[in-house]
Amino acid sequence: MRNADDIKRIFDEAVVETNPSKDEKILENITAAYKQTNKAQFEKIEPNVWRIIMKSRITKIAAAAVIVIAVLAGLPLLDSKQGVVLADVLAKIEQAQAFMYKMKMITTGDMMPSMPAGERLVESTVTISNSYGMKMEMTMTDANSGEKMTQQMYIIPEDEVAIMLMPSQKKYMRMEFDDDLLARMKKQNNGPREMIKQIMGCEHIELGCSVIDSIEVEGFQTTDPSFVGGAIENVDIRLWVDVENWLPVRAEMDFKMNEQMQMSCVIYDYQWDVQVDASEFEPVIPEDYTGFPTGGIMKLPSISEEAAIEGLKFLGEISGKYPKKLNFMDLMQEFEASPDREDKIENLTDAALKLQEEMEKMTEDEKIKKAMETMRLVQSISMFYMTLVQDKKDPAYYGESVGPDDADMVLLRWKVSDNQYRVIFGDLSAEDVTAEELTELETPLRE
Amino acid sequence: MIEDRLLMLKFRKGSVETLARIYEKYKNDLLKLAVILSNDAGAAEDIVQDVFLNFARLAPNIKQAKNLKGYLTVAVVNQVRNHIRDCKRKNTTSLDDSDEVVSKLQRPEQWVILSEQLKLLSRAMAGIPYEQREVITLYMQGHTTFRQIAKIQNTSISTVQGRYRYGIEKLRKLLNHEVEK
Repeated sequence: MRNADDIKRIFDEAVVETNPSKDEKILENITAAYKQTNKAQFEKIEPNVWRIIMKSRITKIAAAAVIVIAVLAGLPLLDSKQGVVLADVLAKIEQAQAFMYKMKMITTGDMMPSMPAGERLVESTVTISNSYGMKMEMTMTDANSGEKMTQQMYIIPEDEVAIMLMPSQKKYMRMEFDDDLLARMKKQNNGPREMIKQIMGCEHIELGCSVIDSIEVEGFQTTDPSFVGGAIENVDIRLWVDVENWLPVRAEMDFKMNEQMQMSCVIYDYQWDVQVDASEFEPVIPEDYTGFPTGGIMKLPSISEEAAIEGLKFLGEISGKYPKKLNFMDLMQEFEASPDREDKIENLTDAALKLQEEMEKMTEDEKIKKAMETMRLVQSISMFYMTLVQDKKDPAYYGESVGPDDADMVLLRWKVSDNQYRVIFGDLSAEDVTAEELTELETPLRE
Repeated sequence: MIEDRLLMLKFRKGSVETLARIYEKYKNDLLKLAVILSNDAGAAEDIVQDVFLNFARLAPNIKQAKNLKGYLTVAVVNQVRNHIRDCKRKNTTSLDDSDEVVSKLQRPEQWVILSEQLKLLSRAMAGIPYEQREVITLYMQGHTTFRQIAKIQNTSISTVQGRYRYGIEKLRKLLNHEVEK
């Protein structure tokens, strides 16, 4: 025995083994003592990310704004292959350089996760200019409390931003577009043009003639689920156009997002080719307004494979599984329902606990910022999937049966060319495969 | 370390599964520590069991999430000190007096099974003063720094280094003697 290293070696070689039956008995005693500890004394499991988001009223507004923009941006680009009459209507309104309309929307049920269920009335006036962008003034009234909330939203494609003013909170939010999202938005003009394109791209029927506000109109209806790229499952859209000038007079939309939420919307009071000034589309932010989130610029969701993978990775780590469905409402509801109660502690993943711990230490402002970043990740998946549906790329998603451990199983796939598919596997690696290879890969999922 | 932080997070929130994971992860190391410090396998079993019981009972109030191993190690060290104090007060077999405590007891339903190296080490360690034994054991087995040991022993780092030096020298001789036997 010469030195400390020799002694260290003896320490390392000196081992203890234990008697397994005694091990079990002792663990039982320890567990019993642990269970007797007053449950109320245990640290509460903090609300999951969505509930943290929704605690703040201002975050609710911001979250809703992102969804509005995401849905606006995600409206489909469908080519007309049918519906000559509707194509005429579209041609007519495409001549308008700027137009206005009013919108009244009633929502019932959970509009957003964690928002109290109830009826809400949203009234908006929208102005769209081919040259300057879009301006939307919106008032939201809670039918239960009578509480009103106003917002002004500006989308300025030239600056690649959307700015939302919240007068009652004296806050404003600046949202930056991702290049893919902006490119997608730039390709289209919102409002009735989109609706007509969508109806034209979907299975639709002619409703015949009717009279609205003493104007003779002809109606078109679609209940095609591919409307808005599968983001909304139950749709009933009716568009009424003036038979004399082929311009829309009124649009009615009924959606049933899921069991929890229904939406009924009327668009009316169209004004075509209105005179607009550039200054109308430049938001004036009063001096006493503060930016939200503080010091930060919010990035809007991205539409890309990378962003979708990032979002799936985040959800996989947080919940230990992938979402069952990828449409907005279902995804948000599912994420909100992830475990957060004491009796479900075992279901919480390490990543979820780490995120919660991280958020517990944050200031309210930091929490909101983090929550918005998180929401962006989640929304990116929906946006990406929605565009795959809209672009008719034959997407299929298997989140219900494929989890992060199913490395070689197809999680999401879509068509990239005639005989080629892009596949995201359970381990989130991505690869191009032929149609034949895909058939083989998907066999276990069909069985 | 991150794994321990997560274990502590779950443990403080009431996870029975996590308690079992912590028990499985650390019981052998803690038993070895208690055996070397006390030179008494039976006492070591009781000490480690008590440490885990207290750990379970105090779950909601344990804040040392950053160093789970350190927390349990210090708990064992404190329990061994209490045990030695009790033995001295009751004038029962002093651990330092006996060099055979580890092996002489054939207890019913024994929990620990010691390797020959551990028996050898424990006998030799029993021959050096307790403070030195604590320093050497924590440094060698607990991967504890002199600075941390100084905090545990409520003394200066230089005192700890001195205890380590003297202790190692004695231990070397005792181990050589044991080997020759």
